[in-house]
Amino acid sequence: MFEAPVQRLIDELSRLPGIGQKSAQRLAFHVLHIEEEDARRLADAITSMREQVRLCARCFNVTDTEQCSICRDLRRDPAEVCVVERAQDIVVIERTQEFRGRYHVLGGAISPIEGIGPEQLRIQELVARIDDEGIKEIIAATNPTVEGDTTALYLARLLKPLGVKVTRLASGLPVGGDLDYADEITLGRALAGRLEL
Amino acid sequence: MQLVWLEMRDFRSYGSLSFRPDPGVNVLVGPNGAGKTSVLEAIGYLATLSSFRRSPEGALVREGAETAIVRGEFFTGAGGAIIEVETPPTGRRRVLLNGKRAQSRADVAGVVAVVAFLPDDLDLVKRGPAYRREYLDDVAAQAWPAVSTEQAEYERALRQRNALLRKDGRRTDETTLDVWDDRVSRLGAKVLERRLSVLDLLEPEVSSLYTELGEGSERLSWRYSAAGIGFLSGGTGGAELVEPLRRALSDARQEDLERRTTTVGPHRDELAISIDRRDARTRASQGEQRSIALGMRIAAFRVLFDRRGSAPVLLLDDVFSELDAARSRRLVGHLPDAQVFVTSARSEEVPLVGARWRVDDGEVAAA
Ligand SMILES: [Zn+2]
Repeated sequence: MFEAPVQRLIDELSRLPGIGQKSAQRLAFHVLHIEEEDARRLADAITSMREQVRLCARCFNVTDTEQCSICRDLRRDPAEVCVVERAQDIVVIERTQEFRGRYHVLGGAISPIEGIGPEQLRIQELVARIDDEGIKEIIAATNPTVEGDTTALYLARLLKPLGVKVTRLASGLPVGGDLDYADEITLGRALAGRLEL
Repeated sequence: MQLVWLEMRDFRSYGSLSFRPDPGVNVLVGPNGAGKTSVLEAIGYLATLSSFRRSPEGALVREGAETAIVRGEFFTGAGGAIIEVETPPTGRRRVLLNGKRAQSRADVAGVVAVVAFLPDDLDLVKRGPAYRREYLDDVAAQAWPAVSTEQAEYERALRQRNALLRKDGRRTDETTLDVWDDRVSRLGAKVLERRLSVLDLLEPEVSSLYTELGEGSERLSWRYSAAGIGFLSGGTGGAELVEPLRRALSDARQEDLERRTTTVGPHRDELAISIDRRDARTRASQGEQRSIALGMRIAAFRVLFDRRGSAPVLLLDDVFSELDAARSRRLVGHLPDAQVFVTSARSEEVPLVGARWRVDDGEVAAA
């Protein structure tokens, strides 16, 4: 146990993903030794990010305006929408430069074990976008996991009767991982070779 | 395949251990509770990332320790490979293969194969179907390393379907359940296909071993019965199994909704063993059952040797104390040429020539 203020920072840091007790201690002691000005800048970066950033009203990407930069970009094709689990997956797909449509962030994947059903995801919001934006194709770019595959299949069952083509990234992605385990070339290929579900 | 060296820290009761075994037979002798089995367990853990004692991972960590570390180098036909596993009391283990993070169990299974003979192997024959399913799945996962991923995905999909049924029971949303049925039947078909393939390879071996181990001329046969489908024989392709599984799930849906669990699928299948027309589980003598179990382990060794092109490492945990002299002799006569690790409380009961090690109080020393 450390002095209370130090321990408090260690506790907070160790709640972050991928940070164990040891890393949290190392980071806390690093912060202890930096200039007070630098410490304040770090704290400010964290709180102002939370204050300024919000979710895009259309696709739920992170943004600091009403709609995200992708949704505001008139060159993007509204007929194609790539559905991802988390906002950070958008960055991964954008890196491939293979996709010129818009996105939709579900907020996770169907996982009854974690109490997540279709109603806990932004699926109704996606359905509402279909007529509004004239969506013709949905690319299910959920993670290549049991839950991601199941969510993709659920979208296909739900959206096909509405006349929307639902496709899935071609196989070849590392199974069981997150989307960002794949490199740009593999992901770009998976995107180009997508198959109808 | 051969274990060149083994190091353990805070694994089971060991503080630290460094062990350089013989490339041939290694007999570990010591009193009960001295930690002989833990050494074999550690070797098995490196090869399969699970404990053959069916212990949860947390139980492998020495009381009060932050993490258990097991490290070993295996020499295979393809050269050397160092496997390192760090297991915390709770949370995810870390697996390194030649210093690089391994992505899945399949990576490690691709390096080394082990076959373990355990004191309670009679359970394979005597007890419920879960023991025989696990046996088939274990051999399949070592015969074709990618299979462990398929098995894990099937388990995951099944747990998800069960969680859905448990939560909503009869009010479960049909579309969501349809989607899980699709996943469970596709992944289940892969598991089933591999089981049937491995069964096909094992069956002739087990049958001939039953005779070779001296149980006479009665014919041993296996029959695989798939829940909700019926009897299946080897060589049935995965694609042919998806539809029958889907139908079985849809036929069982009412029952599943009521019982809030998945009542059909590979996790409910049975492998029945019979001697002529007698059911080996209920109508065979203990001696006959013992020979079948030994035959199943030796058969696993032969099949894996054949598939992998190199002899698996053999682990014999306190096996001789359970066998009479005649069966001990026959087992020794059938032990293949491989690196072998044997534990025993009494040195004289092991009729094998090889390196002898004394295990006591967390130390392993040449005897
Ligand atoms: Zn947007």
